[in-house]
Amino acid sequence: MTKTLEIDIRSAEGLKVNRRLIKRKTFAVVKIGDKSRISNLDESGESNPTWNHKSEITIDSCSNSGKQFIFIEVFYRTGSGRNKKIGEAKIPATDFMGRYSPEGHLNILSYRLRDEYGDKCGIVNVSIMVKPGSTEAIKDYGACSSQVRTESPSIDGYGGRIVTGVPVYCVIQRQS
Amino acid sequence: MGGCFSGDLQGGKQAIGGVQQRPTSTINNNAAHNDAVDFFFRSRGQFPLFSQIELSLSGSNLIDRDITSKSDPMAVMYLRKKDGKLEEIGRTEVILNNLNPKWIEKITVSFQFEAVQTLVFHVYDVDTRYHNVPVKTLKLKDQDFLGEATCVLSEIMTRPNRSVTLHLTGNFGAGVNRRLGTLLVQAEETIASKTVVEMNFRCINLDNKDLFSKSDPFIRISRIVENSGAVPICRTEVVDNNLNPVYRPVCLTMQQFGSKETPLVIECFDFNSSGNHELIGKTEKSVAELQRLCLQREVANFVYPSMVHDNKVLKGKLIVDRFEEKVQYSFLDYISSGFELNFMVAVDFTASNGDPRNSSSLHYIDPSGRLNSYQQAITEVGEVIQFYDSDRRFPAWGFGGRTSDGQVSHAFNLNGASYGDEVVGIEGIMAAYGNALRNVALAGPTLFSHVVDRAAHIASQSLSTNSPKYFVLLIITDGVLTDMAGTLDALVRASDLPLSVLIVGVGNADFKQMEILDADKGSRLESSTGRIATRDIVQFVPMREIHSGQVSVVQALLEELPGQFLSYVRSRKINPVGAPAV
Repeated sequence: MTKTLEIDIRSAEGLKVNRRLIKRKTFAVVKIGDKSRISNLDESGESNPTWNHKSEITIDSCSNSGKQFIFIEVFYRTGSGRNKKIGEAKIPATDFMGRYSPEGHLNILSYRLRDEYGDKCGIVNVSIMVKPGSTEAIKDYGACSSQVRTESPSIDGYGGRIVTGVPVYCVIQRQS
Repeated sequence: MGGCFSGDLQGGKQAIGGVQQRPTSTINNNAAHNDAVDFFFRSRGQFPLFSQIELSLSGSNLIDRDITSKSDPMAVMYLRKKDGKLEEIGRTEVILNNLNPKWIEKITVSFQFEAVQTLVFHVYDVDTRYHNVPVKTLKLKDQDFLGEATCVLSEIMTRPNRSVTLHLTGNFGAGVNRRLGTLLVQAEETIASKTVVEMNFRCINLDNKDLFSKSDPFIRISRIVENSGAVPICRTEVVDNNLNPVYRPVCLTMQQFGSKETPLVIECFDFNSSGNHELIGKTEKSVAELQRLCLQREVANFVYPSMVHDNKVLKGKLIVDRFEEKVQYSFLDYISSGFELNFMVAVDFTASNGDPRNSSSLHYIDPSGRLNSYQQAITEVGEVIQFYDSDRRFPAWGFGGRTSDGQVSHAFNLNGASYGDEVVGIEGIMAAYGNALRNVALAGPTLFSHVVDRAAHIASQSLSTNSPKYFVLLIITDGVLTDMAGTLDALVRASDLPLSVLIVGVGNADFKQMEILDADKGSRLESSTGRIATRDIVQFVPMREIHSGQVSVVQALLEELPGQFLSYVRSRKINPVGAPAV
C-alpha cells in the first residue's frame, strides 16, 4: 500500500565543507527510491539556509525489502554554477510511520548531515506528515455509498480522523 | 582596527533585546515570577498583591578600570532581605568599552505594596576573558567592582517620571571617596500583552564610516518615553563590512514597543571595537508606520541630525521586508482553556540507594513520619502538577529493581499490579512506593531509557485522540546513568512528543554527567542513529543544591516547564482550545 507524505524541508544549520562554514547558495533534495524533489535555492542564508519547501511524495509502506529510508541531500552552488554535495542524512521510515506517529500527525524532525567521508557537516530540519487514509481505498467505495467523504480532515493537528461507514456488500464485491 | 582592542568582540556584536524565536526558556531576570507556580498559588485563593515592574538602567561617568580600553560594565541588582543578606534578582548584559552605558536588558521585580523593598545595585567591569559567556554564569568576585547604589522601590514608583538618579559609592581604599559616577534607574509597570510583531529589516546604500573597509552596521530601536528621552528596546546583530545589510528577524512584544502608534527611534550605527559607535543615520517611525512601509513596499530614508541646517537626508534607506503580527498566547492561556498536564513518576530502585532497612539509606521510611528524599520530591512536584491533571490518575514505575519473578526490570509498575500502571493521587503514589520497597529487591544498573519509552508511548497515544494533553515525567534517581547512549536515543525519540522529562538527583553523587542531558548548557541531543532532538525536553536539578538556597525544588524544576510546553505548541501552531486561529 502506498502512502503519500507531505515533506517540508525547512532549514539547515551549521553547513560545513572541509570543516569550514560555507558562504554559498544552497538547496536540498529529498529522495525516496528513485523519486526526488528539489527545493528552491536559498540565496542569503549561507551556512544556515531556510527553504520551507513543501512537497508531496509517495512511499511504499509495505515494502518486503526491510527498512525504508528517506534521503535528504544538501548541495551548494559553486561560483561557476555547478552543484556540489555537502552531505546527506538518512531518515528511517519508522521515525515518522511508527508507534509514536499516527497518520496525520506532523512530525518535526532534525537529522545530522554527514559528508562522503562520514564527517559531520551540519544539521537539517524537516517536517513530515503521512497523509491520513489511502486515497485509492476511498475511491473504491465511492460508487456504492451515498455518504462518502473524499478527504479525511484532521482535527486540530492531532490527527483525528473521520471514518466512513460502508455497506457490507460493497466490501465483498471490491475485494480481490 | 585601531589600538583599542576590547577582547572578545563576538559577545559585543550579538543581537540583544528581541524576543527569542524558540522560547525554550522563560524570560531571564524574572524575579520569582513563574507562570505555573503563580497560578498554583492563585488558585488556592492566595492572590498576590503585586504587579510586575521593569527597571531600565543606565550609568554615566563610570570609572575606568581597564588599561588599554574603557571599562566593560554590567549591572547586577539585588534585593536586601530582612536578615541583611542580598538576594540576586537579575543582571544586565555587558556593554563593551563604555563609561556611559545604556543597558538594554531590563530587570523585572515584583512590586509588593505592603513591603519595603530595598534594592541594591552593583556595577562591575567584566574582564575580557568572560566576554562570550552567558551573563548569568559570570562569577562576580572575579570581576572588577565599579560601585554600588541603594534605593527603595517605592521611592522610584512615587516619583513623577518614575526614575531616580543614584550616586555610586564604593570603598577603594585611602579613605577618599572618588567620584564613581551615577546610575539612572527607570521603572515601568509591565502590562502583560499578547501581541508580538516580527519584522525583517534590511538597509541599502549606507554611508561608509570606516577608513579601510566598509561600515559594520547594526540597528538600534528605542522607544521615546515622556520626559526621559529614549529607552533602547532592542538591537540587531552586527553585519560586518556591508553597506547593504540584511538582518535576522527581529521579534518585539507589545510590552517593549508600547503601542503601534508609539514613535520609535530607529538608529543605524557603525560598530567600532572602541565602543564609540558612529551614527550613520536615524529615522523615526512607529510600528504602524513600519507595517505600512512593508505593505506598500516603501522605504524610509535615514537622516543625519545636523545643528547647522535641517537634518541632512542621506542616501541610506531602511526597508521592512516582512511584517508579521502574531498573538502569542501564554502558558496560562493554554491551561485555562483546557490543556491538561499529565503527571508520571519513575523511582530509582538501584542498590546504590542503600538497604531500605538502614536509616542511612535514601529509601529509608522514617517511622516518625519525616519524608525521605524520594518522598519529598514526589510530594513537592506532584502537588503542583496534580492540580493541572483532572483525573489524578498517575502512571508510576520503578526501575533497576528485581521484582518477584526474579528478573531485574527497568520499568515495573510501582503498584505491583500486572493489569495497569496507574495509581490515584499523590497518596496513591506514596502507598505504591512503600509497598514496592517491601516487595522489590534493589538491584541495578541505572537505566532511564525504558521509562522514557513508556512515557513516550503514553504521550504518543494521546496524539490520535482529540483531547489536548501534555505529559510530564518525573524521574527521581540517586546515581549516575550507566547507559548514556541508550538514554539519549530514548530522549531524542521522545523529543517531538508533548512530553517533558524532569530529573531530580537525590543523594550525594556527582551529577555532572547528567547536565549533558539538560541541553541548556550546550548543543542539541544527538542519538546514535543520527537523529537530533527536535527540542530540549529535559530539566535536571540536583536536590541538595536546592535546599541550601532560597528556591524550592518546585520552582527550580518547573522553571523550564512553561517554556518547553510553549515550544511544543507554538512550533505546531496549536492555539488554546477554542481560541481563534491566528
